[in-house]
Amino acid sequence: MTKFYDMGEVRVHALRGVDLELYSGEMMVLLGPSGSGKSTLLNILGGLDRASGGSVLYRGFDITAANDRELTQYRRRHVGFVFQFYNLIPSLTALENVAAVTEIAENPMKPAEALELVGLTDRMHHFPSQLSGGQQQRVAIARAIAKRPSVLLCDEPTGALDSETGIVVLEAIDKVNRELGAATAVITHNADIAGMADRVVHMSNGGVSHVDLNEHRRSPKELHW
Amino acid sequence: MLSALDRKLFRDLWAVRGQVIAISCVLAGGIATYVMAASTLASLLETQSRMYREFRFPELFAGLKQAPLSVAARIAAVPGIAGVEARVVAPANIELADYGQPISGQVVGLPRGEGRFNLLHLHAGRLPEPTRDREAVVSDGFAKAHKLQPGFPLAVTINGRKQNLMVVGVASSPEFTYQLAPGSIVPDFKTYCILWMNAAPLEGSFNMTGAFNQVAASLERGARVEDAVQAVDTLLKPYGGLGAHGRKDQISHRFLAEEFKQLGILATMIPTVFLSVAGFLLNVVVGRLMATQRGQIATLKAFGYTTGAIVWHFLKFTAVIVTVGTLLGIAGGAWMGAGISRMYMDVYRFPYLDYRIAGSIVAVAFGVSLAAAGVGTLFSVLKAAGESPAVAMQPANPGRYRRSWLELPWFSQPSRMIVRNLQRRPVKSLLSIGGVAMATSMLIVGGFWGDAVDYMVFAQLRRAQLDDLTVTFFAPVSVRALHSVRSLPGVNHVEPLRNVSARFRFAHRTYRTALQGMEPEGELRRLLNTKLQRVELPPDGILLTDHLATMLGVKAGDQLTVELLEGSRAIRQVAVAGVVTEYIGVTAYMRRDSLNRFLREGDVVTGAYLAVDPPAMAELYNRLKRIPAVAGVAARAQALRSFYDTLAAQMLTFAFFNTLLASTIAIGVVYNTVRISLSERGRELASLRVLGYTRGEVSYILLGELTVLVFVAIPLGLVMGRGMAYFMAMSAQTELFRVPFVVEPSTYALAALVVALATAGSAFLVGRKINHLDLVEVLKARE
Repeated sequence: MTKFYDMGEVRVHALRGVDLELYSGEMMVLLGPSGSGKSTLLNILGGLDRASGGSVLYRGFDITAANDRELTQYRRRHVGFVFQFYNLIPSLTALENVAAVTEIAENPMKPAEALELVGLTDRMHHFPSQLSGGQQQRVAIARAIAKRPSVLLCDEPTGALDSETGIVVLEAIDKVNRELGAATAVITHNADIAGMADRVVHMSNGGVSHVDLNEHRRSPKELHW
Repeated sequence: MLSALDRKLFRDLWAVRGQVIAISCVLAGGIATYVMAASTLASLLETQSRMYREFRFPELFAGLKQAPLSVAARIAAVPGIAGVEARVVAPANIELADYGQPISGQVVGLPRGEGRFNLLHLHAGRLPEPTRDREAVVSDGFAKAHKLQPGFPLAVTINGRKQNLMVVGVASSPEFTYQLAPGSIVPDFKTYCILWMNAAPLEGSFNMTGAFNQVAASLERGARVEDAVQAVDTLLKPYGGLGAHGRKDQISHRFLAEEFKQLGILATMIPTVFLSVAGFLLNVVVGRLMATQRGQIATLKAFGYTTGAIVWHFLKFTAVIVTVGTLLGIAGGAWMGAGISRMYMDVYRFPYLDYRIAGSIVAVAFGVSLAAAGVGTLFSVLKAAGESPAVAMQPANPGRYRRSWLELPWFSQPSRMIVRNLQRRPVKSLLSIGGVAMATSMLIVGGFWGDAVDYMVFAQLRRAQLDDLTVTFFAPVSVRALHSVRSLPGVNHVEPLRNVSARFRFAHRTYRTALQGMEPEGELRRLLNTKLQRVELPPDGILLTDHLATMLGVKAGDQLTVELLEGSRAIRQVAVAGVVTEYIGVTAYMRRDSLNRFLREGDVVTGAYLAVDPPAMAELYNRLKRIPAVAGVAARAQALRSFYDTLAAQMLTFAFFNTLLASTIAIGVVYNTVRISLSERGRELASLRVLGYTRGEVSYILLGELTVLVFVAIPLGLVMGRGMAYFMAMSAQTELFRVPFVVEPSTYALAALVVALATAGSAFLVGRKINHLDLVEVLKARE
């Protein structure tokens, strides 16, 4: 699959031909420097952007050929997103932020249940402004997984956090991956995080440079940076 | 060479061009109303004063039955009087070839030698040669209405003698700027005419050789008009003086003054409201626009720009918007002002019009807009620049929210978002509501004038004046003369009337107007109270138009001093029996028999109201106008038409422009409100899109908020508009006419509809922007 952007007279190749499979229940870490194309890849996987060439198949459904309405439905039913800057709705409490997604999903878990998974039962009724950065990110994870997504995409989930808080957040991602079995892709440029993955995809210059398989995933608790 | 920052300025402006246009529209709407009104009024006033000066409008006027010219010399000797000119003025009936209807008019004698006052401004042709007896100059309004040019023949009947005259010129004169036939309140250029001819032949035809019946004078600097009036009245009394008066009681001047007063009210109040609303909205909108630039401001500070430089940069940003809006407003206002002034020119026969926009008007326009926008910019930019760059470049902390007492348990999360957003920033919500409400209220004010005029016409012409024709005689005639009128074909019913001019005095206040004697059981002319129910004429005592009672400060039961200015010239105390509601003119009413006793006259009349068979109307009209004693015949339908043609047309044009501008403002306000909301919350909405919300679901959050605001704002605006209309109606009370306070349901509905449409249109435009939210950007971008 390829992706280029036409920026005026210049064509920028963001992805120069990526061939990759993501398995159900797998934890994959996408590692690479800025500009290596990992965010572009994630956006295409999440149905936010379209590939310029090649195809992206979700359980046989070609999302490269989907129209806007179908992409919305794809995101709504199957994809969970975790953003670097959490992107919580400030006017809604933790519980309501999760409910904002469960209300439009098919067969979601209860919002409280999702918050319990990320260990935030006691902060359910707090507004984002009353939560720390790590707590906000865990709410975002709860929001992403409450719909029981088959694909969980996390873009630099610890990018705005200190390492101690980052580990708590990674633990939450690890836990939901194990318990829900969602195919999980975590973008990071922090090589230390790679230890928690089943598979580490190294990206550089718009392509996959090499792939490492971890024999056993390390618990995020064992990570430090 | 543009600095990098200046280039950024133009690109930023281009990026928000939709809002720049919307803000400019709001501003232009306010400025245009102001420029239109202020420039029209200033131009008319300037033209009037220049014309009075150049064409020597006198300061004192007196009419009389007849006096030898030597009396004029005695008037000239009165202390305080600087110059005098005496002349003969005669009523006349005029016939024009190719125009079936008779025309009435006045023939004015031209001075021998050089004139002192009321110089003629010739639009075409020349003045009569001193030796030619059959040459005449016609008034320009009449000439225009009949497309008359020098060389046209006229048949003029003066004093029962018909003579053939030749038009040699077309002219206007300051004393006939507002040209009224006796008894009418709006000019009718088709059937009323002013003619000027040499004095000698006119005096001959009118049996007044060596005499005069009108005199005009100028006063010495510092002389009091009242003193001169008294002295002239005393001098003229033996000669049948009809009461001298200053400029303020000269018919044309008085009507102009009243109309300018009315225009002045329109020209001050409406623009004040519009301009303050536009200024307020500009302040709010610019403030919010600047608040969305927080990240940029932080970046500039991080580069090392000083707060002062940043404030200056953004002030330039708003200055561009303000300049665009103000220039648009001035151009629009000038265009409308010139149009309205031309319309006034059709009614007021000014020799020329000095339409110009004074520098002070432009200065006020720019001053108000720059101040309003400057303050809005300054506050928001200073607030943003006050943050340390490091903090400002961080993603903004999530806003502090609370549960709202407005939300209900079954609310969906998007509904909760709407309610909490509204409640979290009550000031912002209130400002938005206030802005939309004000736009709504201005639409009411625009529509109110139409309702008021309709009601005025309805009350006056469908409830009060039920006659088909009103006949006015040149002089009082015996009531028996009406028998011949009654016997004319088509006449169903005749009711006599006696009109006399009188001066009313109560405490220190005096007022000069007509006193009308009517039949107590008359059916054709009814006096009404505020509910439009009939008020009976008392056997003794007097009824006053409510506005006259207010001006004199009298109420029912007071004793009013009435001084008749004709006939017996008796002065008597008369009890005020009550007031009657009238929207046009001011008059006092008595029973005709009591008035005739007061006048020490027999059973005489000066006119009559007629009920007529509609098919016979046209023929009867012509027959009546051919009767030599008849000075004028007015038709109700014609009165209605003239009214609409002039006063109503002026007011309604004004109101139409106001409605147009109010709609512009409404659209600008609503669009900006929702557009800025989108800028402020684009990230939040894009996040929801990423999470799988459809476009419709995301639009609901933003547009739902707008809808709530507009739903609260519209009723509020309707109430505010009603209040403003009431205030205007109360301020626009003049002697010429009063504006009834009437706002029809259709006006409310229209105002609400315009705002609703503006909302729908804005929603549509912003909805399209929501469709193009950049979902990828939101994953990485900070605010």
